[in-house]
Order: sequence, then structure tokens, then C-alpha cells
Amino acid sequence: MAKETTPRSGRISRRTVLTAAAASAGSSLVFGIGTAPAQVGQNRPFQGTTLNVSCWSAPYPRFLADYIPEFTEQTGIRVNYDTPGFPIYNQRVDLELSTRGSAFDVLNITFIFTSRWIGAGWFTPLEPYINDRNKTPAGWDFSDFLAGAVAPLRDRNNVVHGVPWIADAFMSGCSRFDIIRAAGMGMPDTFDELERMCATVHNRDGVPAFVTENHFGWTWIAFLQGFGGNVFRNPPDDLMPTLDTPEAVAAAEFFAKLVRDYGPEGALSYNYDAVVAALRGGRVNYSSNNQAFLTQMGEAGSRVAATSNYSIFPKGPAGRFPGVGVHGWGIPAGSRNKDAAWEFIKWSMSKELLTRIVREKGYGAITRQSILDAPFFKERMTINGVDIAKIYADTINLAAAGYMRYRTVHVYPQVNTQITQAIERVVSRQMGARESLRQAQTNSIADLRRAGVRLQ
Amino acid sequence: MTTGAMAVGWNARRRRAFLAGLTPALAVMALLTIAPAVYLFATSLTPLNLTMPQTAWDFSEPHYNYLDLWEDPRFSNSVWIQTKLSATTVVLQLALGLAIALLLNVSTRIRRLARSGFLIPMVLPPIVVGILWRVMFTVDVSPFHRAMAFVGLPIGSLITDPSTALWAIVAVETWEWFPFTMLMMLAALQMIPDSPIEAARIDGAGSLQLFRFVIFPYIRHALVVAALFRLIDSVKAFPLIYVLTNGGPGDVTQVTNYYAFIQAFNFSLWGYASAIATLMVAGTFVLSWAIDRLTGAADARDD
Repeated sequence: MAKETTPRSGRISRRTVLTAAAASAGSSLVFGIGTAPAQVGQNRPFQGTTLNVSCWSAPYPRFLADYIPEFTEQTGIRVNYDTPGFPIYNQRVDLELSTRGSAFDVLNITFIFTSRWIGAGWFTPLEPYINDRNKTPAGWDFSDFLAGAVAPLRDRNNVVHGVPWIADAFMSGCSRFDIIRAAGMGMPDTFDELERMCATVHNRDGVPAFVTENHFGWTWIAFLQGFGGNVFRNPPDDLMPTLDTPEAVAAAEFFAKLVRDYGPEGALSYNYDAVVAALRGGRVNYSSNNQAFLTQMGEAGSRVAATSNYSIFPKGPAGRFPGVGVHGWGIPAGSRNKDAAWEFIKWSMSKELLTRIVREKGYGAITRQSILDAPFFKERMTINGVDIAKIYADTINLAAAGYMRYRTVHVYPQVNTQITQAIERVVSRQMGARESLRQAQTNSIADLRRAGVRLQ
Repeated sequence: MTTGAMAVGWNARRRRAFLAGLTPALAVMALLTIAPAVYLFATSLTPLNLTMPQTAWDFSEPHYNYLDLWEDPRFSNSVWIQTKLSATTVVLQLALGLAIALLLNVSTRIRRLARSGFLIPMVLPPIVVGILWRVMFTVDVSPFHRAMAFVGLPIGSLITDPSTALWAIVAVETWEWFPFTMLMMLAALQMIPDSPIEAARIDGAGSLQLFRFVIFPYIRHALVVAALFRLIDSVKAFPLIYVLTNGGPGDVTQVTNYYAFIQAFNFSLWGYASAIATLMVAGTFVLSWAIDRLTGAADARDD
């Protein structure tokens, strides 16, 4: 669900400023970095500038909204900040970027649009900012960002166009592990165990066993690859879709059974917000989804904080292929406030601020290696004895094999739509898996050809 | 100068004065309506893909999008879904609006209050209506579903079942817009003079005969106008579908404008989407014209 967040500009209490200053100073000591924690009282070259910043609604951008008044206080830059829902954000920004308009100064570069948006030259190269010591102190340390997270934000010439704020790992979590344990089972490590677990605990205590987000172009792919299939024949060089292979049919049948037979009524209507709400409320038990969503079960205010459990995504007959999604801040080519925009990105992705967000908000999908390695991070990211940081690191390492390449090709949005519709048809019994995927394959080929892709 | 010449001169001056008075309105209309429509049509003759700006002025194969549409089964399927949605919602809105207008066509305090109450759905923003009904259709939080389960008649999700998803949209669309037809019918009913109704009653006409032979001829024109308005508006039934079903499950609620939306906003294929939009404009125009001609012919026969 879309949620707009507006910082309370100019309403900073003395307590907030003191807390912020203390925390920044503390972080600087921890990391031994001498970057000025605040430019209060110093020369403020961007005083009076207004930045328009937008990102889709996810935990990090929502948390960030609480800190933006401090940025305004430090730099004199006012920020119009909004966080609409994922599809709304993408549609709005895709159109805005294509006009090379100046409506936005800082935007999220969405993972499935990285190739399209960066390849079309719609974002500003960031090397001139990263490498200029007058604009970026050495202590900010761009090399600290995970190489795997930065990679999708580079163009064909290896030039960086974005700073990754998330490398989100696909993993598994359950809200009522007490039910699973009572059935004598643990967190499933294979697809077979997953199906057995769902069949055993479904509707125990009135709780359906399985739920997942209805963005099946994301949530189904880990199953598809686990069965040995893929989206394209050999991305990014050979973009012939491979949606109607026997492996894809097997994956669709398996996945549809989980969603339909072990899911809540109306499972097809669950977007990520609905999945998180249902998990936190204990209304469904097990889900495979992004780490940033699932770990919200362990937060204060969750009804299942004490009974939640987590694991790496299970492996299928062909292996384990949990997805990794990268999103990053970038500066649109049409922005008229690029230097000020860089100030915002630099501030929002600084070690100091990210450390505070981890400590104060419990955010875990971090892209800075130094924070991932810090003892406090491991401690903060341990929920009910489960080391989430290890699951996260293991997943990122698995993805280094390159199986996420399918997602960064510029026509993935077309295939994404076809996959989602195909799985919906199978789950709702409109068609069998084979017929539905054959239709998705035909439609995808037509859409790709219409987009100018040459298929052989 | 003769009297005839003076009259011609005066008429010419009067026409010029009318034209001068209309010119600003015509200019605004040309700017706001005709120019975008011309641009839409021109774009439909190109393969415009936003990621390839050079395609904006590529008129080398102007008929390509239209030929492609002709062979696109998803487009023809979306037209069929649109037809079902438009036909059922317009008929239901007219029937419900007329029935309630007949009930409320008496001036009592309670009916005046009821009239205002019935208008509420129409004045809500469509996106709010969508969110409201999204809650109503979400099984585990919906008071409707809970009530049905409580009385032992549990109902599955209406928006994820392919056999009910479109009819759920029809129900919400009807709920939202029947007040419009109700208002138009009420206005038409209140224009009917009392004397023919009284005369028919004295002659012993029953309620059905009174409606068929006296009331209906008076409100027929208003009914046609209301139907036209609702028909044109039904083609724009986008927000409800976006919020409630996203065109699914599969593509069972993917109406034509939603298909155009996906082509434009998800795939950046604006040339193809413009061709779809152009056909929608043409289709709506032809349909309105046909209805107008048919009802005009019926009026001529009656006269």
C-alpha cells in the first residue's frame, strides 16, 4: 500500500539534535572517521535549495524520513520526500525519467529497471562526485559498498550511476514456529520438506501454512531456478524467454499448490504489505520473501515476535537460488540540483547514519561491508537466536554466481507481467501450468519483439 | 441601400459577433481537446518506445501498430471484457437508478434525507471507493465476509476467483455510479406535469400502464442521455480495476484501457498504447453516434 511520508521540517527538538550529535560522534569514534558529523554553524553552500526525493515504500526509505529534518538542519537543504507504493513509484518515475524532466533530484533506481534507466542515459554518472575529494571525503569510502550490490548500478562501461541502499535477500520466515515445532518439524531446507511442512501444519490453530507476495515475477523465480529453469535462455546475451520448459511447468505446479492449497483465502490478492501484516498478526505461518519484510516479524509491536523463526531459502532439485534485489539512489539526468542531490545521497548512505538506522530502527538489509562486519550488527540482527546476518551474507554470496542476471535486462518488466499473470491463472485454476506457461511464452515473445528485441 | 441588403449585412455582422464571442472557447477546446487527440493519433502511427527517443518521429510504417493490434489476442480479449463490463454496469445503473428515483419521487422528509444519502458513493473519489471495497473483499478482515461466515455461509474471495472477479468490479461500479442515473431520473420525473398522470389514473390505468404509457415517454430522453454518459464513463473504469484486481486473476479483468496502461506505463511502448487509445476513442464516438441516431429515428417514428 502506498504511504506518503513527509518530514517534519523545522520541528526538531533540542533533545533530537543532541541525540543525533551524540550518536554521530559515537559512530565516528567507532569507525575512526573524521567526516564532519554536522555542518551546523559552518558555511552551507546549498542553503535554501529544495530537493525533490522519491523512493518506493520500503523499510529503509520509511526510516530515513525520520532523520531528514537533521539533514535540513545540517545543510539548509529542504527536502520534499515521498514514498509511494512500488508499482506506482515505478510507473511515475519511468515516465518522468523518459522526459528527462527536472521534477526530481534524487530517485531510487529500481532493480528491474536498472538496465533500462541507466542504459538509456537517464541517470547521472556518479564517479565525478565519488572521486572528487572536495565533494566526497575519503572517509565516506565508496569501496565499502558490497561489490555485488554496486554491480547492477553500473553501465556497460562500468561507470557507477547509483549508490545501493539495499541488497535485499530472499529468505524464509515463519510467524508461528511453535506450531511447526509441535509437529516435530524444523524450518524446511528443501522443497520437499517445505511441502511436507505445509501439508502437516496447514490450518493448525486456524493458521494457514503458506503465503507469498503476489508479485510472482519475483517470488516464483527462486522456485523456477530451484527446479532448474530460468526466465531467459542465457541472459543478458540471449533473451529468448524459456517459460514453457518442463522445469518451469514443474515449478509452477509446485508453487501454485503451495499458494492455493496451503494459503489463506484470497491468497492471490496479497501484496507485500498484506503479507507482512498477515505474518506480524500471526494470521499466516510461513513465507518466502525479502529479508527486509520478513524480519519485521521480530520487531517490537509484532504479535509473533517471540515465535518467529528464519532460515535461508530452501533448495530444490537443481539447487538453492534465493533472489537478491538491489536498489540504489541516483540523480536523474534532468535534475537542476545535482550537487545538492549528491549531498543528500552522501548523507543518507553515510556509515554514521546507516549505523544509527541499524541501531535505532533495526534495519538489516545493509550494503556497507564495514557495518555487516560490526559486532553490534550481528547482535542486532539476531532474532530468537537466529543469525539473520549470516543468512543475509550467505544469500548474497550465492547470488554472486550470477543467476540474478535475468532481472537486470531492459525488457524484464514485459516478462515479469506475463509471469505474474501465468501464475495467477494456474493458482486460480483457469488453466493448467503447461497451457498457462505456453501462453506466457507466446505473449512474452510478442512483447519482446514489439520492444525491438531480436530473438532467435 | 435596399432593406434586403441591410438585413443581409446585419445577419453577417451578427454571425461575426457570435463567432468572435465563441472564438476564445473554441481556441481553448482546440488547445485542450483537439491538439492532444491529434498528437495521440500521430503517436499511434509511430513505434514510440520511451527508451528509444528516436522512435518518436518514425513514421516509416504508420499502419504497423494497427495491424499488430488486429493480430493481438490480448487486445481482442480486453475489448470483450470491456464490452461485458460496460453493458452490465450501464444496464444495472439505469435500472437501479430509475427504480430508486421512482421510489424517491415524493417529497417527504425521510425521502429527502434518503436522496442525499444515496449520493454519497458518487461523490467519493474513485480511489477511495477502490480501497473501501478492497477491504470489503479481503476475506480475513472484511466485515461482510466475517458476517457471512458467522451465519454459516462462508464466501471465498470474490476478487481472486476468476468466475466472480469481473462481477465484483461490476457490483462496485454500479454501487458507485447508480446515484448519477438516479439524479437524472429524479430530475426528469419532476418535470412531468401532473395532468396526464391524473387523467390516466381517472381512466383506470394501473401502475405498470402508467409507467409504460405516460411516465416512460417523458423520461426516455433523459434515460438515453444518462446511458450515454455512463457508457462513455464505463470505458474509463480504471481506478477500481487497478486497486481491486490489477487486471487479474490472470487477465480476466483486464479491460482495454488497462491493457493500454500496461503497454504504456509498464513496457514504455507509447506508440502501441496510443493506437489502442485511438481505437477506444473512435469506438466510443461511433457507439455514441449510433445510439443517438437510433433514438432519433425512434423519436421521428413516434412523432
